[in-house]
Amino acid sequence: MRGEQAGCVAGTAHDLAIDVRGLVFTYPGAASPVLDHLSWSVPAGSFALLVGGTGSGKSTLLSLLKPEISPAGERLGELRALGEPLSGLSREDSAAKIGYVFQNPDNQLVCDSVWHEMAFGLENLGTPPGEMRRLVAETSYFFGMEDWFRAEVDTLSGGRKQLLALASTLVMQPRLLLLDEPTAQLDPIAERTFLHALFRVNRELGCTVVVATHRPQAMVPYATCAYELSGGRVEEVRDLEPLTRWPRLLPPFGDGGDPAADRGRLEAEGAPADSGRPEAAAAAPEPAVRLSRAWFRYGRHADWVLRNLDFEARPGRIHALVGGNGSGKSTLLSLMAGVTRPIRGSLVRASDERALLPQDPRSVFAEETVADELMEWSGMAGYGRREVDAWLGRVGLSGLAHLHPHDLSGGQQQLLALAKLLLTRPRLLLLDEPSKGLDLAARRTLAALLREEADRGVCIVAATHDLDFVSQATDDVSMVFDGEIACTSPCDEFFTGNVYYRP
Amino acid sequence: MSREPRHTAFSTAHPAVPGAYLVVTLALTMFGMQPVLVAISAAGGLAFGCCVEGPAALASALRWQLPFLLIVAVLNPLFSAAGATELFRLGLRAVYLESVCYGLVMGGLLIASVLWFRAGAALVSREGVLSLMGNALPVIALMISMVMRLIPRFVRQGRAVIAVQDVVGRGRVSRLDAVRGRLRASSVLMGWAMEDSLETADAMRARGWDVPARRTVYARHRFTASDAVALAAIACGGAVAAVLAWLAVSQYRFFPTMSALRPWWGYAVHACWMLVPTVLHVVEERRFA
Repeated sequence: MRGEQAGCVAGTAHDLAIDVRGLVFTYPGAASPVLDHLSWSVPAGSFALLVGGTGSGKSTLLSLLKPEISPAGERLGELRALGEPLSGLSREDSAAKIGYVFQNPDNQLVCDSVWHEMAFGLENLGTPPGEMRRLVAETSYFFGMEDWFRAEVDTLSGGRKQLLALASTLVMQPRLLLLDEPTAQLDPIAERTFLHALFRVNRELGCTVVVATHRPQAMVPYATCAYELSGGRVEEVRDLEPLTRWPRLLPPFGDGGDPAADRGRLEAEGAPADSGRPEAAAAAPEPAVRLSRAWFRYGRHADWVLRNLDFEARPGRIHALVGGNGSGKSTLLSLMAGVTRPIRGSLVRASDERALLPQDPRSVFAEETVADELMEWSGMAGYGRREVDAWLGRVGLSGLAHLHPHDLSGGQQQLLALAKLLLTRPRLLLLDEPSKGLDLAARRTLAALLREEADRGVCIVAATHDLDFVSQATDDVSMVFDGEIACTSPCDEFFTGNVYYRP
Repeated sequence: MSREPRHTAFSTAHPAVPGAYLVVTLALTMFGMQPVLVAISAAGGLAFGCCVEGPAALASALRWQLPFLLIVAVLNPLFSAAGATELFRLGLRAVYLESVCYGLVMGGLLIASVLWFRAGAALVSREGVLSLMGNALPVIALMISMVMRLIPRFVRQGRAVIAVQDVVGRGRVSRLDAVRGRLRASSVLMGWAMEDSLETADAMRARGWDVPARRTVYARHRFTASDAVALAAIACGGAVAAVLAWLAVSQYRFFPTMSALRPWWGYAVHACWMLVPTVLHVVEERRFA
């Protein structure tokens, strides 16, 4: 990898896939530019990572390289892709030669069936039917899609949807592929499958790949070079190794060796600096929720989703549910929430006050501004403006109270939805993939918030694929497999015993 | 959601072939208001339905339509008092045999049409219909495809919205608020969908949606010479059947008295036409028998 990296640096102007010089970009109405005299070059054929926090301008930079979706704003400087100035690229060339894959697999798929999705881009370009058949067939073979080529898009798993998004871009034979957080919505197994496909696209087809991400850990082994975007400028990252490490989410016990910056951040957000993980003992006698011998299926002829399942979670603990796609984690959450009832078996809850946060926080938003959003349930749950202001501060949205909830970043939306639910003071909090797509700052705030709530005696159950989050921020872990709980153990024990299932 | 692959009549043909057959058959059924033609058409639809869906499934699907036939048969004489053979009087209105028979035949015609529409769903898939349309109206076909993609998504998102508010509001909200809750859910869903659609629009443009090229269509089905032959056969057979059906209908009267029904070779031709999918289905089944 070192050798390739060196090759990465020494690219002549001739074989640069991306060549940006002196780019200044300012959004309309913004006081200062997002990208400030940015120069960036990516050699053709490389697998490049573009890292940087939320709001650093990664998406803006990528979309400026794809003329069809470039944001409106004031732009100065020279942008060249594949050796040609972007302004000189015809619409056909720009659509076909520069591929773009978005974060959300659901939103970027257009048609109802896989074969139609694959053909969509080629149909737009007016590709002759014979050539279209050949390209679609070839690409489907490359991605091993034969088995689900005739499937309906809605029946696919998230991982397959994202693979389809990649395949339907690749069928147009791009020479440069730009991806914006392509694996943020995927589980770790699907993420690896996707990255592997991307790796083959890069090495076997020689297509230049640029991935913007704030979680590069899983991608570093595939990358040939990495760039960091901060302060509106791009710098090459010479040493990729630090990118593979998982940063700490919660401050450790005592004072021993954690980066002072982390602690300062958490203190600023109002989390007590010494709130480490409480001693596992002091287990409350009464579980907050208990399912015994629960059976569940969705329809008369459907197969069982949960089979004879026993589960309990205690107040004051953060309980993680891990397991593959379709193992029944979300079903288990909706049973505990009371959205559905077990077909057989019993469910006992200590308190009726509970809240459920589905995967997409937008399912919670009903109002026009962030502040109104938090006030929506004030009458019902008995809280006021003062509590809302306090929560705005805790989740770092004080300055953004006047914005529309949909205008926040993904991480901010998740924290807002969580704050809205926590304002109703639930005793049982059920979360589905709470850390999905969050950047480091939002992950830290989330971990600190959940810990505080648990310390107040709230029982928290979170279904998640994010094993790094599980290992750092939860107390107990249950693995759901084949409709049952395969094992339940305290977090540390869980990961010492596992061979494959670890962050 | 996984469906067994379906092998039935015309399943190896271009969708235009079963499409043309269905159009002709539905026209013959709907305009063939004559007792024998209606009986033959209903028998053909029933036979194919029994083969494809099985008698039990078909019977349970039709259990609401048979009473409908009786209602049409009973109500028709009450509204149109025409005919010569008076059966009995209901108050001031006379009920004639001809009216009752007309109602029965009309009911039978409706049921035969329903049966053939069901058969149509088995013979041409939705995707087949779209590909037929795609050649003529590519943009409309794409729009239908996009809408079909959105429907299951909206249902799923709507469930998630309702789940959140129901769980939080459990025990805290009155009945009246539950109605408002549904209104709230639809507005949440609206905002969510609009937000999603912005990204979908970007994804469409990124893949060349507004490139000014003439749109082409990915052809799932190839139109071959044997499809052309089949279409020609359907055109000829359909023309013959239509002429014969026109003769049968024009020579038959319900009012004032019903014409007598006699055996006629034309009925055999009509029956052959109506039994085509059943025969083809049996042939297809026998391949692995």
